[in-house]
Amino acid sequence: MENEKKKSLLERYNIPLHYLDFAHVEKCTNAREMEKIVQVLRSGQEGHYPDLQRCAEEKLKALKPDSKLFRYEEQIKQSNILDKTELKPILDWTDAIKTKDSALNELKKVKQNLNLPSVRKLSKIDVDAESKTEAPKPAPKAPTQPNTKNKEARIKSTDYSKWDKYDPDEEILRMDLDEERDQEQVEKIIATRKKSVATDDLRSEKDSLYERLQAQLKNLSQLEREQFAERHRLRGNENFKAKEYENAIEEYNCSIIYDPENAVHAYNNRAVAHFKLKKYFSAISDCQACLQLDPMNVKAHLRMAEAHNAEGRHLESLSIYKKVLDFEPGNAIATKAVEKLTSMLGEVAPSSATRLKIEEIDPPQLKTSEAKKEVVKSATTVVKKTEPPIKDYDLAELVKPNRMVKSNLVSAAEALGNKLQANKGGAPKKPQSPPSTPKEAMLRLPQDNLNTSNKLLIQEI
Amino acid sequence: MDKPQLIEHLHEAVTYTVYDTKWVPLSAKFVVLGSKPNGHGIMDIYELNQDKLVKVKSVEKKVAFKCGTFGAASLRNRHMAIGDFEGRLQVLDMEQPDLPVYNVKAHSGIINTIDAIGGTQIDCGAPEIVTGSRDGAVKVWDIRQGQAPVVDMSPPPQMGDGINNSAGRRDCWAVAFGNTYNAEERIVAAGYDNGDLKIFDLRTLSVRWEATMKNGICGLEFDRRDIPMNKLAVTTLEGGLLVFDMRTQHPTKGFSYVEERNAGRSVGTNGVISGPKATVWVVRHLPQNRDLFLTGGGTGSIRLWQYEYPDRRVVDDSDGNKLGVAGALNMVSAATISTQPVHCFDWHPDKLGLAVCGAFDQSVRVLITTKLNTY
Repeated sequence: MENEKKKSLLERYNIPLHYLDFAHVEKCTNAREMEKIVQVLRSGQEGHYPDLQRCAEEKLKALKPDSKLFRYEEQIKQSNILDKTELKPILDWTDAIKTKDSALNELKKVKQNLNLPSVRKLSKIDVDAESKTEAPKPAPKAPTQPNTKNKEARIKSTDYSKWDKYDPDEEILRMDLDEERDQEQVEKIIATRKKSVATDDLRSEKDSLYERLQAQLKNLSQLEREQFAERHRLRGNENFKAKEYENAIEEYNCSIIYDPENAVHAYNNRAVAHFKLKKYFSAISDCQACLQLDPMNVKAHLRMAEAHNAEGRHLESLSIYKKVLDFEPGNAIATKAVEKLTSMLGEVAPSSATRLKIEEIDPPQLKTSEAKKEVVKSATTVVKKTEPPIKDYDLAELVKPNRMVKSNLVSAAEALGNKLQANKGGAPKKPQSPPSTPKEAMLRLPQDNLNTSNKLLIQEI
Repeated sequence: MDKPQLIEHLHEAVTYTVYDTKWVPLSAKFVVLGSKPNGHGIMDIYELNQDKLVKVKSVEKKVAFKCGTFGAASLRNRHMAIGDFEGRLQVLDMEQPDLPVYNVKAHSGIINTIDAIGGTQIDCGAPEIVTGSRDGAVKVWDIRQGQAPVVDMSPPPQMGDGINNSAGRRDCWAVAFGNTYNAEERIVAAGYDNGDLKIFDLRTLSVRWEATMKNGICGLEFDRRDIPMNKLAVTTLEGGLLVFDMRTQHPTKGFSYVEERNAGRSVGTNGVISGPKATVWVVRHLPQNRDLFLTGGGTGSIRLWQYEYPDRRVVDDSDGNKLGVAGALNMVSAATISTQPVHCFDWHPDKLGLAVCGAFDQSVRVLITTKLNTY
């Protein structure tokens, strides 16, 4: 009787009754059909078969895991089902946010002179009229244009002389041309629209944006800066997830500008984004910036090692991995990488030995640039005059290939430049311009490179 | 269970109809706007205090409040823009709500919807408020401008005999700002009762695109207001949920979208949808992750969705034009919280997973969503 009023699911889906069977469910490969079978079974219209239903559901899960039939809705749960530990962060947060809240209320009394953009000129958008002239709807547009023309050149039904001249082929051609022209117009409009976005001269635009942000910074309290920085960082993460790495880097840039002191995460994330774009140099310098703020950051170390590795500087990479293992012995990634690299590079121990030597000489040099200058000078003289130390370095030279030494030098120079830059304010505004203050120290490196042997360079680092 | 769970943290029954709930930025407070049985407007401010809700302030005004937003307020002043049942737009200081900072008779009918931008975005244009009303107009306001809207998007005056003209008048139900990624660009999306969706470009002062949905549009939101348009979520009567990919506009086909029918109904306990088609009242993207959003439905259920991008977001069609490709919608979690429609919802801008929502059962709920950080 029910069926008379309303078809049963079985009939509606057009599924034969014998499909409701273990054997068929087993061999069915059509997800759509399986969904229907599950729905029929769940409805109970053909009787309840719990085992068959379970079997069918499992099969469907295998065929189509994201089927809508697996969507469940529950009655909302009360917060008492949550663990105390899960609820605690929220309760703590309410206390933390209250201090921020009251701090903001204090700030309210302080006048903020942000130079807001001026008020828009009063204007109107005519809702209906615009829609007719606007481009993206060629369909209604096509008939309107021929209409106007037809009015001018319409041939009266009695005007036989004109009808004699009428050439239908020509008319069709004309219509085609009109259509083409419409299409062209559409394209033109789209092109201009794109241009307005694209020709904004993105690079200079961005630079000026960063400058303006810098200018705004002094009007903001620390609290607000933190807030904005965090927002930009999250934005960056979103772009990163959507694989839009350039946009992500931009957001991270903003985040760093707003709050350079707490930019550990932003630097770290930007490093990954750079890495994804294969800009290993930038990735390394970001890691270094991050490590300057948080020297024990494992992620930054690992990423730096990875970037070095990708650049082909396996030795650098290996030493960083080892460093990670020093302060986090169990680190799985580092252990694996060390294993892989050592098997690849073979003998590595000597290189670390030379490194140790270098470090011994390092500390007195790094104290001041003045002292460094002197040391370098004295070192050059020492090398020229006396024989024994040269021997010493020659040994190292034998073990360590020249290429490695060079790359070592480059990265050290980078590190130095980066350090100086970071001290200047942390803002990565002009990475290409070399820092001006420590001229002697920076410029000496290449000169020595030309004048004296490689051994000297090792000494200086 | 690895998937996020929706949990009711606190529940507050009130004695009036709730129309909007909004968190005060950078605080544990939220504002509830509503209408008392006598038609007076009421604004309550509650504060989360450990595991209790404390009413901090209550303000009553002559006219019922419909909607409010903090979008145009800076972190320092945190003024709320409110639209009411008589078409008045006021900007209130939470400390001195009796004396509006700005007050204008914006529309001839009720202000159904409001959105604002520019408060906390630095260097992204002026702070502006957009209102949509029953009189069919969408207007953009700048509180420094005095009593006239800075952009007026009204339908043309009605022709006819006065009998038929009320029928032709549209009713704007939803507005949203978007595309504000620099000082010039800005877009307003407006949804109407007849299913019209219009995208207004405020830079070129033109209608950028329009389309018509099957049903009236109840909710609209760009996934982010202050980035180049990425996605626009649209909810309609009878359970429609559409997410448009706004990156690529095809010259004839416009923007591509993914559609979910029956998003307003409850899915039931075994995935078999039953019961009447229900409106999807509201859509709100998670401030911490733009690809997660929540919809509130007419059967009192809320659903959490995830948008998955396609492998390629743009393809070339046969004419060589760029055509956007929509992604897929994936329902993450669903819960029934009321017997009445859940029509307003607000994620906390600063705390992941914390939200406040209002339903027509005269109650306000503070919700916690777990495990959102895993997405």
